Amino acid sequence: MAESQRYQNRIEILQGTLDLLILQTLARGQQHGHGISQVIRARSGELLSVETGSLYPALHRLEKKGWLDSEWKASENNQRAKYYSLTKAGRKQLVAEHGKWRQLVQAVSGVLDPA
Amino acid sequence: MAGNSLRLLLRRFFQRRDLERELNEELASHIAIETARHIQDGESPEAARQIALREFGNVGLVAEVTRDQWGLGWLEQAFADLRYSVRSFLRAPLFSAIVVITLGLGIGSSTTIFSLLDGILLHALPFSNSNQLMVLWELPPQTRKPNVVNLSNFVAWRERNHSFQSMAAFLASPMNLLGDRGGEQVPGLSVTADFFETLSTPPLLGRTFRPGEYWTSEPREVVLSYGAWQRLFGGRPDVIGKKISIDASHHEVIGVMPPAFGLPNHKAELYVPQAIEVNEGRNYTVIARLRPGVSPDAANAEMAALAAQTAREKVHMDAGWSAIAIPLLDQTVGSVRPILLILFAAVGLVLLLACTNVANLLMMRASGRVREFSVRIALGASRNRIVRQLLIESLLLSLCGGLLGVIVGGFAIRFLKTSLPENLQIPRLNEVTLSWNVLLYSAGVSILSALVFGLAPALQSLKRNVSQGLHEATRSVTSGRKVRRVLVIAEIAFALVLVSTAGLMVRSFLRLTNVDTGFHAENVLTARMLLLPVQKEEYRAETVRQMLDRIRALPGVAAAGSIGILPMEGTNSGTAYYRADRPDPPPNARPGGDVSIITPGYFEAMRIPMTYGRTFDAEDRAGSPPVAILNQSAAHILFPDEEAVGKRLKVEWGRGGNPIVEVVGVVADIRHGSVNTPPDPCLFMPNDQQPFPFTSLVVRSTGNPASLESELREQVRAVDSDQGIAKMELLQRMVSDSIARPRLEAVVLTAFGVIALGLACIGLYGLIAFSVAQRIREIGIRVALGASKAGIFRMILGDGFRLTVVGVLLGLAGVLGSARFFRSLLYEVNPLDPATLVSVICILLVVSAVACYIPALRATNADPASILREE
Repeated sequence: MAESQRYQNRIEILQGTLDLLILQTLARGQQHGHGISQVIRARSGELLSVETGSLYPALHRLEKKGWLDSEWKASENNQRAKYYSLTKAGRKQLVAEHGKWRQLVQAVSGVLDPA
Repeated sequence: MAGNSLRLLLRRFFQRRDLERELNEELASHIAIETARHIQDGESPEAARQIALREFGNVGLVAEVTRDQWGLGWLEQAFADLRYSVRSFLRAPLFSAIVVITLGLGIGSSTTIFSLLDGILLHALPFSNSNQLMVLWELPPQTRKPNVVNLSNFVAWRERNHSFQSMAAFLASPMNLLGDRGGEQVPGLSVTADFFETLSTPPLLGRTFRPGEYWTSEPREVVLSYGAWQRLFGGRPDVIGKKISIDASHHEVIGVMPPAFGLPNHKAELYVPQAIEVNEGRNYTVIARLRPGVSPDAANAEMAALAAQTAREKVHMDAGWSAIAIPLLDQTVGSVRPILLILFAAVGLVLLLACTNVANLLMMRASGRVREFSVRIALGASRNRIVRQLLIESLLLSLCGGLLGVIVGGFAIRFLKTSLPENLQIPRLNEVTLSWNVLLYSAGVSILSALVFGLAPALQSLKRNVSQGLHEATRSVTSGRKVRRVLVIAEIAFALVLVSTAGLMVRSFLRLTNVDTGFHAENVLTARMLLLPVQKEEYRAETVRQMLDRIRALPGVAAAGSIGILPMEGTNSGTAYYRADRPDPPPNARPGGDVSIITPGYFEAMRIPMTYGRTFDAEDRAGSPPVAILNQSAAHILFPDEEAVGKRLKVEWGRGGNPIVEVVGVVADIRHGSVNTPPDPCLFMPNDQQPFPFTSLVVRSTGNPASLESELREQVRAVDSDQGIAKMELLQRMVSDSIARPRLEAVVLTAFGVIALGLACIGLYGLIAFSVAQRIREIGIRVALGASKAGIFRMILGDGFRLTVVGVLLGLAGVLGSARFFRSLLYEVNPLDPATLVSVICILLVVSAVACYIPALRATNADPASILREE
């Protein structure tokens, strides 16, 4: 019962916004996949949960586009993990995506709550 | 950035395994971190790991969707599919073997027949611009069947025509070659000077005859075939200028032709010059090369006009005669075109059957794989990917089948070329190979059949939706049933068409073997030869008489005689003979037929009975009153209401004017031209009175005739040591060879028919067995509710029977539709022969009953309790 309750409280991440969330998370420094999902969940007040089946494809996709770089390092608990970091192009992309997101939010709220 | 993605791309391609490992490590580290977190929260390590795994979800699935991001090229994906297919086929070796063998048989037979079609019908003849080459014939007033040509007409055509750039006449004949070991006779061609110019093939060594040479007298020159050069001179290059003895005179070798050179159907070892003798006989074949831009039709129109001209100029000889030009390729292969096309259609059907069976097998397999596909779709594989996977599987199967087919085809072609009788009369068989055309065809056929048999299961797999598939996974799937039933009906229809065609051919062949030829061929040995030139014609007759006297004296010889042209070897057709006691009929209305020149003893050796009068004897010599014997057909035509014996006939024969002969006897008809043509009227004259340049000794033995061969050779040599023999053959062999082609056609079609029947049977069995397996629960319930075993049996059998009946009806429609195509190939058998059709239908019904029997039995023996418990 508790399981399904948790699911209902969550918000599905909009198509395309996951990339933005990942880029934003990495803007504060390099992180591994597990860490990224933890950060997103914590910052969203447990509302946004990233499924591994979405997270890892996204990471590999962004790396392929050249926005992310990766290296293997020991984690804080002395476990080896693959750390991702933003490339220069990734930073540019973050700025662009962020701008687009703001526009979208404005547009959607304009429609939902007309002044 | 670009460097980054290029680096990744290369890594992806070459270090796939590293990438895979790295991905697995990455996911494992995720789970490890999560586990560590839960341990910190106070869980036991075991529980912590369980929780971490649960939260992570399906590791394999995450790995797969992540891998998809690597952007596999379509090629890599195809490779992945291929690997998957190979693995899945290796897991089901029996299934794969059945499919590959079925396809191998289908593609193999189709490859074999196509290679025949390609080598014989499609491939250009080995002459430059071979489509310009035409064969010219005269057309007799009544039969209008192409007839050999008179040389004076040839000269008129050659001088007057505007359609052809060159034209040559030739005569095929054995030539007596004198070597160290005495005389031997080899096939040769006497050709007019333009022969090589017309075919425009340059010699390998030396020169050929110069166009325009030798119009009145023959120089003693010879052009050798490559084979003769190798055999007689061991391929020595200094052969030009050497002399060889041909027909008792020395000929100088002036050239050697390249290996492949030769007119199809007229392979020759020696080419000697032919002078233009303007006699009145028709003996020559004419070959001509069209001028560029002149169509065969235009040439034919001109030939008709030229023939009309000569018919006006030489009324006594040419009245009513016309002329025709036939393209050399048509001339060469026209006789085998219909059967080749029918065989091609037949193998097409066999291939379709094979594809149908494979499609059926694949669909059954696919319905067993519903769960696999549904899972893959649920896991995010696109439907396109699944269809592609199925098509790649089909392609893999068909290419394996195609490979097997090419191997089968290669063996079949080698078998055909080496094991068939020499005089099977299949033109250009030696040109048949597994050429690039054929390989291309086989590859095309393989790919096409992959589409044909692969598409149905692929499309079927698409129709089902995922959740339904997952639900139904273990229970029956019925959506493909209709398609499969249609396929099986089609199989039965195809099989019926093929088997009934084969049945008709077999029946027709049996009729041919039972034909009464009118003579007794067993225990008869024949020896054909061209008689060496002598100073006076009578001496030739004397030579033959001496040979026969010696042979008759041999122990084991029952009777011996000779004839100019043997049965099954052609006729002297188109000679006119008519009553001498009435005014001559007009030239185009003169009766006539065959003429045979024989010696005493011929009828006895052949066991042809006399019906009236007497046979020839030693008193019918040169100088004594000319005599003749008629066969019954000729007697009936010339003397419908009178006694023929004692009457006198005028015969248009020989150079010494038309002899008037007295009929001394009438003999029974025989089939001289071929087994399948009714007897022609024929007039026999004694060799002593009308000596013939060819003779064929006909010797009946009391024991095994083959044992006489060396004795016979000995006696011929004893009369004239230079005289060679062109060919020695058993008459029975000649008769059976003359129907070897219909026999081969019947055998090949029967083989295809049996394959088709087998395939249809397997198809029907598979369908019924599968449906019983799927309905076993329903059957169990029926039995539990009181259905009788007999009722169940009838139900299953009836199911198969309905399919068979529909297939048979469709097949009958096919037979009706195709009847007119093979009417010409059948001998005295109606293409809709009821007896054949009824027996073929019975065979099909029995076979389909057998195919349904085993599954029906299994259904009857089903134990309802155990079946229902299984559910």
